[in-house]
Amino acid sequence: MSLTATDSAICVEHVTKNYGTFTAVDALSFEVYGGEIFAMLGPNGAGKTTTLRMILDILRPDTGTITVLGGPISEKTKDHIGYLPEERGLYRNAPVLDVLVYLGQLKGMSRQDAQKRALEMLEYVELGEHAKSKVSELSKGMQQKVQIIATILHRPDLVIIDEPLSGLDPVNTQLIKDLLFEMNAEGVTIVMSTHQMHQIEAMADRLLMIDHGHQVLYGAVDDVRQRFAENAVIVEGEGDWSALAGVSSVEQNDNGRSVLLRLADGVTPDMIMETLAVSDAYHIRRYELAVPSLNEIFIKVAVSGNGQNGG
Amino acid sequence: MLTWRKIAHVMRREYLVNFRRPAFLFTAFGVPLISFAAMFLIVQFTASRETNLDDFQRVAYINRAGISLDGDYNPGDYQPVVDDTLAVPGDTADAAAKTAYFDALHESASRQLVDNEIDAFFVIPDLYVLTGSVDLYARKNVPAALHSDIEDFMRQQIAAQAPGDLPVSTERLGGEVEVTIRDINTGEELSDSALMGRVMLPFVFVMIYFMATNSTAQFFMSGVVDEKENRLMEILATSLRPIELLWGKLLGLGALAITQVVFWAIAGAAIAMINKDAQEFLSGAAFQPADIALVITMFLANFFLFSAMMLGIGASVTAEAESRQVAGFFTFINVLPLMLSVMFITNPNGTLPVVFSFFPLTAAVAMLMRFGFTSVPAWQIALSLMIQVMSVVVTVWLAAKVFRLGMLMYGKPLTPRTVWRALREGHTVLTSAKENGVQVTKKPTRTRKWGILGR
Repeated sequence: MSLTATDSAICVEHVTKNYGTFTAVDALSFEVYGGEIFAMLGPNGAGKTTTLRMILDILRPDTGTITVLGGPISEKTKDHIGYLPEERGLYRNAPVLDVLVYLGQLKGMSRQDAQKRALEMLEYVELGEHAKSKVSELSKGMQQKVQIIATILHRPDLVIIDEPLSGLDPVNTQLIKDLLFEMNAEGVTIVMSTHQMHQIEAMADRLLMIDHGHQVLYGAVDDVRQRFAENAVIVEGEGDWSALAGVSSVEQNDNGRSVLLRLADGVTPDMIMETLAVSDAYHIRRYELAVPSLNEIFIKVAVSGNGQNGG
Repeated sequence: MLTWRKIAHVMRREYLVNFRRPAFLFTAFGVPLISFAAMFLIVQFTASRETNLDDFQRVAYINRAGISLDGDYNPGDYQPVVDDTLAVPGDTADAAAKTAYFDALHESASRQLVDNEIDAFFVIPDLYVLTGSVDLYARKNVPAALHSDIEDFMRQQIAAQAPGDLPVSTERLGGEVEVTIRDINTGEELSDSALMGRVMLPFVFVMIYFMATNSTAQFFMSGVVDEKENRLMEILATSLRPIELLWGKLLGLGALAITQVVFWAIAGAAIAMINKDAQEFLSGAAFQPADIALVITMFLANFFLFSAMMLGIGASVTAEAESRQVAGFFTFINVLPLMLSVMFITNPNGTLPVVFSFFPLTAAVAMLMRFGFTSVPAWQIALSLMIQVMSVVVTVWLAAKVFRLGMLMYGKPLTPRTVWRALREGHTVLTSAKENGVQVTKKPTRTRKWGILGR
């Protein structure tokens, strides 16, 4: 099953899931396009994992419909999905290669294919010499790599990773990011869920932000950030910022190195940049639009409770 | 529909991984090895005991054959059985009077044996000259040395006499003397080993049965707990259906249990081939061939019942240590008939053995023990089988529910209340993904190409 960008990888429609009297997911709808990196964001307990488990048919929704890779999820569809849950593990007392081959076979691979590809991928992440080692003998970072291999061994069309970067050191964070980008460049659709929004905003094409089981934001990452952008710029350099024409107020940022210049109505960042460019009174080291981080946006919409839907 | 290929992968893994477990290797190979060692020690021990005649200093005989026994050779100092209250019939007395006298003497000898006035006595029957057969009566284990001493005594006595004095063939003179041990009450011929086999075999079978079903059921449980502890359940749940995982495990471990029994059967056959006592021991079995099918059915029922229970326990608890405690309780109930075996020996059709035969957790073991000791009424076998099969069906169904519910509850024990709620909710209709769900939304971007990570 090869997925193109014109296909819908996942479509969730009006899905609700209750645990007793607690509503974990409430009438949630969204779509993941083929070939994109999609981020599902929200604080702990927002309903991200429940949603992923419903997509994967581990849990059944109380109401609503879900289609995956063009149809209702079936055992055959599952063979085209790679899933790395938040709580991840492997058979600790078994050799790395055995575990990978077994999990590959359960995804429909032949023994020979699984073995060949597992060895190739172990080499690729520089774990070739540990193929015969027991999982428990590996360091935590090595185990993470093996888990990623187990997730993508069977060449899935759709990879779903719950909290991909939690508990990783910077080196392994970069490794996982590189792997995800590389897979995505090869056409694999990637769905990530995380509460660490700052790590994802540079990676994802589109996002869904949920809180208490409700959708609060949905759309392309850049669009969402632009929508919440104020008419302001962040500047680092020297000069008397308050004397600058078109600036209505100046705020010193927390780190003291940069300032936030709020612009008067009708004044655009381009106009300010032109002024700065021809003036000797200012030296500029950095100049950027004051686009809020996803974290800031989340706090804003969660507190105001008026999320907007886009995309 | 079940994917048998995936079931086969799970089955293969469960079989191989558990086959290599030290616990399995110990029960499969260690137990037969220990049995061999025990046999060897027993043989050694009995060998030393077989030459010890300390317990047989006073051996008497009854000479019904009328052979002259006054030769010099009498190493055991065997004396004729004497009873002063009986009148010895004269040479002219008729055959009936002689028979009556010897019968009375036999009874007297038995009394003396019971009263511990003598240690053993042997009877040289009327037809001795034809059969060469002597009957030995004793209340203790007869050492081989006594056998051979009596044989020597008989041969030497006869040989000491002039051939013309004896109505006996020359072949008889040089031939074997057969000493047969007989039951002092019934007069039936007994083999020590066969007698032991009759009493012990039901226990041996029950032990094998119990070890095979319980050890593999325990593997089942620790496998599930292991997968739960190692956070593998979600990955497995997205690779195959819980019921496929269950079947794979059940079949793999079932095959392992059978392997174990086969190992033991081979070891048993090997012991029987090299050891005559072991052969007689096995021949003492009161099982009929027809019982074997029944035994296998019960073996499977007990295996599935316990596996399902262990699965349920494994899915409900959070740590292996905890699971062992709960499992220990059920295992204890399973083995209860064995612990109360004296009630099965004394009255195999008594109230308690019968009740145990109808209680799901004890039915298989109780029935097996009763088979060994008595003939069980057909209706009881049928009822017990029905109860066992029904409890297997119910338990497997329940375990599959609990498994599906508990497999994702990491670090949280499954309370009976949660299970009950889940079972009730199981009756409500679950909404699943609908066919022809949604219209495809188009997004014109990348197309798929595969590099090192792909195909």
